[in-house]
Amino acid sequence: MHISDGVLPISVAVGGYVAGAGLAAWSARRASNEDLPKVAVVTSAFFVASLIHVPLGPTSAHLLMPGLAGALLGPVAFLSIGLGLLLQSLLFQFGGLTALGANALMMGVPAVACGWFFQKYKGRTQLRQTIIGGLAGASGTALAAVILAILLATGGEDFFGVAKIALLAHVPVIIIEGIVSAFTIGFLARVKPSLLMHSFRRPQIPAHG
Amino acid sequence: MHQWESHLPSQEPKGHLFRLTNLQFRYADGPQALSGIDLEIAADDRIALVGQNGSGKTTLIKQLCGLLLPDAGNVSFKGQDLRNGHLERSRLEIGILFQDPDDQLFGHTVIDDVAFGPSNQGLASEDARQVAQQALQRVHLADKAYQAPHRLSFGQKKRAALAGLLATNPAVLLLDEPTTNIDPRQEQVFLDLLAAFKGTLVCVSHDLLFLYELCRRAVVMENGSIAHDYAMNDLVAQRSELRSHGLDFSFRLMPIDNGEKNGGPAETRLAEAQRESASAPPMLELRGYHFRYPDGTRALTGIDLSVPVGERIAMVGENGAGKTTLLACLLGLLEGNGTYLFEGRPVTRRIRRDLWRNIGMVFQDSADQLFCPSVGEEVSFGLKQLGVSKNEIRERTQEALSLVHLKGFEQRVPLHMSGGERKRLALACVLAMSPRLLILDEPSAGLDPQGEEQLLSILGELDVTLLMVSHDMFFVDALTRRTVVMHRGSIIQDLPTDAFFKDSRLSNLNGLAYSFRQRCGKAIRELQHQHEHSHHHRHLHAHPHEHDDVVHDHLHKHDHAHRHRFLHSHPGEEQEHRHASRQYHDHPHAGEHGVHDHNHNAPKGDHKHSGEHGPHDHDHTGHDKTPHDRSHK
Amino acid sequence: MGDVNVIQMPLWQLFAMVVAPFGLLAVVVTLLRRRIRRRSAEKGDPDWSVPQLEGAAGHSLIHRWDVRCKIVTIIVYSFMITAIRQMTPALVAIGLSCLVLIVARVSMTKVLMRILAIAGFITMFLLVMPFTVPLHKGDTVIVFGGLNWLQFSMRGFNLAATIAAKAVAITLLMEPLLATAPLPVTLQGLSRLGVPDMAGQMVLLSYRYINVFRHEARRMATGMQVRGFRKRTGVATVQALANFLGMLFVRSFERTERVFDAMRARGYRGLFPEQTLKRQRPADLVGAGLWLTVGVALLVFDRMIV
Repeated sequence: MHISDGVLPISVAVGGYVAGAGLAAWSARRASNEDLPKVAVVTSAFFVASLIHVPLGPTSAHLLMPGLAGALLGPVAFLSIGLGLLLQSLLFQFGGLTALGANALMMGVPAVACGWFFQKYKGRTQLRQTIIGGLAGASGTALAAVILAILLATGGEDFFGVAKIALLAHVPVIIIEGIVSAFTIGFLARVKPSLLMHSFRRPQIPAHG
Repeated sequence: MHQWESHLPSQEPKGHLFRLTNLQFRYADGPQALSGIDLEIAADDRIALVGQNGSGKTTLIKQLCGLLLPDAGNVSFKGQDLRNGHLERSRLEIGILFQDPDDQLFGHTVIDDVAFGPSNQGLASEDARQVAQQALQRVHLADKAYQAPHRLSFGQKKRAALAGLLATNPAVLLLDEPTTNIDPRQEQVFLDLLAAFKGTLVCVSHDLLFLYELCRRAVVMENGSIAHDYAMNDLVAQRSELRSHGLDFSFRLMPIDNGEKNGGPAETRLAEAQRESASAPPMLELRGYHFRYPDGTRALTGIDLSVPVGERIAMVGENGAGKTTLLACLLGLLEGNGTYLFEGRPVTRRIRRDLWRNIGMVFQDSADQLFCPSVGEEVSFGLKQLGVSKNEIRERTQEALSLVHLKGFEQRVPLHMSGGERKRLALACVLAMSPRLLILDEPSAGLDPQGEEQLLSILGELDVTLLMVSHDMFFVDALTRRTVVMHRGSIIQDLPTDAFFKDSRLSNLNGLAYSFRQRCGKAIRELQHQHEHSHHHRHLHAHPHEHDDVVHDHLHKHDHAHRHRFLHSHPGEEQEHRHASRQYHDHPHAGEHGVHDHNHNAPKGDHKHSGEHGPHDHDHTGHDKTPHDRSHK
Repeated sequence: MGDVNVIQMPLWQLFAMVVAPFGLLAVVVTLLRRRIRRRSAEKGDPDWSVPQLEGAAGHSLIHRWDVRCKIVTIIVYSFMITAIRQMTPALVAIGLSCLVLIVARVSMTKVLMRILAIAGFITMFLLVMPFTVPLHKGDTVIVFGGLNWLQFSMRGFNLAATIAAKAVAITLLMEPLLATAPLPVTLQGLSRLGVPDMAGQMVLLSYRYINVFRHEARRMATGMQVRGFRKRTGVATVQALANFLGMLFVRSFERTERVFDAMRARGYRGLFPEQTLKRQRPADLVGAGLWLTVGVALLVFDRMIV
């Protein structure tokens, strides 16, 4: 779920922009400058993945995947998510222009946190990676929901009700995200474990030339 | 285009553009990809780089343009080591065309993309655009300059990618599979463009017919090293060599013998099945079928098609003729208007939803079909959807895997398998579901000749109704009895495959110009034929012969030398010569031998004949070309 | 609750006032979405041998406006609208946005799609806020048929409606902001405004590959469908989707490497070639000034009324 224009108080919207831009710059510096085009291409893959709907009883939920993005990209995930949101509001109608910064914080901060968590605890066995991946996926979405609620609540006590409902609405999504992330990480651990290392890292010497 | 005289690689030393010495390369945690490569490439060389999938061809051309750097040994370009500053400067002189044009077209519009190289050469934005515009003109895409790349067809993308390279006016072009998946007309455009290119050309491809037309030198790779370095003519002429490198595409060159085409067991079975079901309704039937995309594009108009049980049909037509749309309609993925009967019953919503149980399809790109972490799961995926029991799943999985020669692969990861194996796996996944109708979309795309031959024999044995979309006329001929020609969304011809091949007017009308293939095929066939009859060889076979008045029959050796046409290995046509590597080989003689005499007592060495055909030389005149060729199989 | 004005209404009014309007809204949104989706694929093929800028896009005032001025003006103005607190100025802002739409002559279908995209989030506010805002002195609440726990606060509704109006007003401006110049030009404008050049290039690259990966994903989905896969609620579906996702990532990461190789092979060294941009004219600045003055006036108006 993305916050649309006009909801947040102007101070929060501007503050979100400032914090988001700062974090994006930090995140960009985690990757070498040469690698940034790669980040862009990977972003489009996540973008496409986020369009996938998972059936959920009578309705369906589409995946947000902050946790998964963090697990695969590490700190660069923030930049990637910011870029994805920018694209979304530029070209695909969703998400507000003025709320872009806040949205980036809402999705990007959990991604980086979960990426760190996954790298720290992923261990070596496939089973463990699957479980940790699932935890990272679920907690990524949970954290995003919490941040969303906090951002909404900045509007004053009038918004508390909306914030609570938004939080509750995320519960089924959190569960689905957890399962999907676990299975996806499990798949990658079997098929292409190298993806579970962070692909973009600052000290990386450009592989060849 | 090809002059016979020009096939000798020039012996006189001249400036080498590339010089590779003792090149070693290994991918991170992979096997040795290249070892001990020594290669020199002259400025006007046109090299075909051939070899089985995984033999290191792509790795080698990446070395040539500095995308990979050698672990040991070196690559020099214009006399300097291709590294650091020199590499940066040389980048734009060496153009590399990737297999998938989407990797290469990263610009927002086609012209942005084509101008990328010239801008990096330091041209100002306006000048770069001008250069780009000219390059687009050369590939006939000037009218698409401001189009977004994803709106182009595959062939157009490929040409746009080539324009991006030509715009920088490179000295060298490295091409990785330039013609896979494009229709014959576009292929011809490519051929013309590349033939007009003046610089050095290194082309990786499995399509030896294409290479034959384009290249003069052939480098054969095997397991990461260079196995041979031939003149092109020489390579294609030597079936045994081709065969040993898994490159024997000669099965493609067999003349089409009408009437009794590879009458395998499946063929006869099917014929019977067809006779029995003559009265039964066809498996599927379309009458007056239309399809219109939501945006109003008419993709199919007035399609009438009937597929009887047991029939084997080829569907041909240019890119964008509507073949894929028609397949999607048959599979029930799209819904058009008109009559669609499946086994005599109109396809209602409910039947359409269950069409997948009866119709299986193997996609052009196996990657679109394989997504499980193991072969076993992959094959059982469809079976699980069918809802069959666990035991049956196991059984049918085994059965399907052994059918495609992948027994024992259950635990392997599909992603790590070779192209040919993946194709067969995709086939197994579909076959395990025992479809009534099997649809194949470009089955031969991207396979090396060995993989093709294997797939061909598997498909030939199958007892199933078949609908195959292909640009590959050899597959069409070998596997089908009926050909449906599509053009601009409708079926313009529906005729026996034999008749299709005879009707050249039709092929031209449809833009399916196979003429260069026919031309090359013929030339190569002649070369191979010549070779098989004329090179130094030894046979062991029985035939009657006379000694004075005695005529008897026994096995004996023939050991003889005669005229060679292999220009690179022979100082002259009439001189005595020896071929260390292929002095001896055995091959059965199916034809007759003329009666002749030979000396039973003479020491072996005396059998050597040089040049002139003496009385001892055995008589080939009685051979029929084709059966002789065939006996190699 | 002593200071709250309570209006009692029969229970069926709840249906008439809340359920029916929202139900109707949902139906309309769904229908519109479906119709638009059917119509959205563009018709005809414009002449692609000329730049889009001169070709299809149009010649309105907004189109000719210098892109830097346009970006700065619209973004600053959007933030001003965010700061509005009252209903009336918000409605005025919608009116002004519509005026801009008419001047810019952009595709109404796309504008409608943007509005529909925010409909879900806004509807949540409209539905939730009237029932959840804490009650203050002087608030009016409507109680339906004696259901005392369900109180519809007019103040909450007003707040939500204001938010909705602001969101609509800003969303209406997105098309004039983004669709009146080709994307690369807009991004160049951004880079001239101090956004790192690389950011714009990354947007373009992502946009390009979204299309590639979408096709890839669609083909893979077809491949699964042909083998009988149908989405259902259950672990098997999730497992299959996870494999699908995993495969999508594997393929895209591999492609990423190849794209990067292709870029390097064509001389990429960490910088994209420079682009040129037209000079800005005094008129551009005047336009920006005028527009922002209107924004300030709106804000003043907003703070003046009580």
